[in-house]
Amino acid sequence: MNFDMNIFMDSLLQRAPGYIPEHFMLVVIPLTIAVLISLPTGILLTRPGYRRHADRVMAFFNAGQTIPPLAIIAIFFPFLGLGYGPAVLALTIYALLPIARNTIAALSAVPDDVREAARGMGMTPGEVLLRVELPLSVPIIISGIKTSAVLTVSTAVLAALVGGKGMGAIIFAGINFFRPELILAGTIYIGLMAVLLERLISLAGWFLTPAHLKGT
Amino acid sequence: MIRLDHITKTFPDAVRPAVDQVSFHVNKGNICILVGPSGCGKTTILRMINRLEEPDGGDVLVDGRNVREMDPSALRRTIGYVIQQIGLLPHRTIEQNVALVPELLKWPRGKIRERTMDLLAMVGLEPGEVGHKYPHQLSGGQMQRVGVARALAADPPIMLMDEPFGAVDPIVRVRLQDEFLRLQQTVKKTICFVTHDINEAIKMGDFLVILKQGRLVQTGSPLEILTRPADDFVLSLLGDDRGVKILDLTRSESLMTPTDTLPEGLCGNGCRVQTVQPVKIALEMMMKNNADQIGVWRGDEIVGRLSWNDIKTHVNRVSG
Repeated sequence: MNFDMNIFMDSLLQRAPGYIPEHFMLVVIPLTIAVLISLPTGILLTRPGYRRHADRVMAFFNAGQTIPPLAIIAIFFPFLGLGYGPAVLALTIYALLPIARNTIAALSAVPDDVREAARGMGMTPGEVLLRVELPLSVPIIISGIKTSAVLTVSTAVLAALVGGKGMGAIIFAGINFFRPELILAGTIYIGLMAVLLERLISLAGWFLTPAHLKGT
Repeated sequence: MIRLDHITKTFPDAVRPAVDQVSFHVNKGNICILVGPSGCGKTTILRMINRLEEPDGGDVLVDGRNVREMDPSALRRTIGYVIQQIGLLPHRTIEQNVALVPELLKWPRGKIRERTMDLLAMVGLEPGEVGHKYPHQLSGGQMQRVGVARALAADPPIMLMDEPFGAVDPIVRVRLQDEFLRLQQTVKKTICFVTHDINEAIKMGDFLVILKQGRLVQTGSPLEILTRPADDFVLSLLGDDRGVKILDLTRSESLMTPTDTLPEGLCGNGCRVQTVQPVKIALEMMMKNNADQIGVWRGDEIVGRLSWNDIKTHVNRVSG
């Protein structure tokens, strides 16, 4: 297999950039849905009364992580068929675990005496959550979202296999036609996107992080 | 002000009740100390007053109202709460920590700020210096002062204190105790205070509640308990220096023989006690000056004398 610089430059500058918005949406949509599911679930599973269900629900999330995304698409194929929808579903299930796990870990790490004092001062359970527990949990929850984001950027390549589009289209074209130039071009953008998204979420996290935790 | 009526609490899977049929009441403006070894239920009792725990049986009345009928969060905002671990919110500055309850009560901003500054000064901190710091930047003693300031913030009539000075070193502890007693002279709160340290209990308390394994063993003023311990448990809790502790709580004037002239053989001018000073101080003076007697003065006037024999007789009489 020889490497043709002209094809590579053409793929890198002309063909691959067109897939960026598609791929970006393949990451942002599942990630957003995953946050919307995992964050409330994580919060719920650390509330008294629901804590005993934590193991069972986390086992489900763990399973979601162990099943390969393609298998998930295969399982749901009879109901959803192929294409964008099933790809988003599979990526969402894949992204749930790191966020849920970190949410639970973060909320459980809030010192008991802090929670106890907040209750003792007369904060309602909702005020304790919003004003004490969540602010203190921001760094760990954000790092969970980052893990999921990076994971989804690379896994979303597989969406192309089921007609879900994205950067995978150019990478798999490269594999099928024995053109490493296409594979490399696509991979460079995948890498850049992962780094960029990670920095973006870090930045958002920095604004949400309480001052005393910054710079440590 | 606070009345507990046959309070009982058994935790799930426990073999015996943590609190068993305990009743007592705390008068307005008094410091009531719950004292006993660990596991005696003192903290649980305290937490049932502000409904951090719910009793299985019995009633808690605050200001004549049954706490069961009050909203727990609203109730807690009217009761100051200080715990040994302090529990300052790590993500809020000292100022914001103290402002917590007034914020929950939706006080106007200016009033909260004014109150916060006053309180920090009141507990012996420099508001301009520590106000903008975070809890982790403070020493243990400073944090505990902030804990007290936070509890006092909304000027609650009642304070619950769970070993508030337990986590600081002995020197700081004594200073915090003294400052708190001085503060109490002006704020006159009704206080329920938990400790396992009998010396702290005797020093701080107007009224002691002695507990053992969830049961109430004895109640009374420190002097009442020192002079008439109910059983061997109370006796052992009071320690081997019970007589000396009694002398610490007895004013010199109560044991002196009245006189208006300075008799022969009374130790010199440098060796005198005031009527309100404890007999323990008189004893210390006599030992220092190798004297058998000491003059008791009210201001610049001699009003009596106190002899070694008087003290010995008194201790023997009251402690049996």
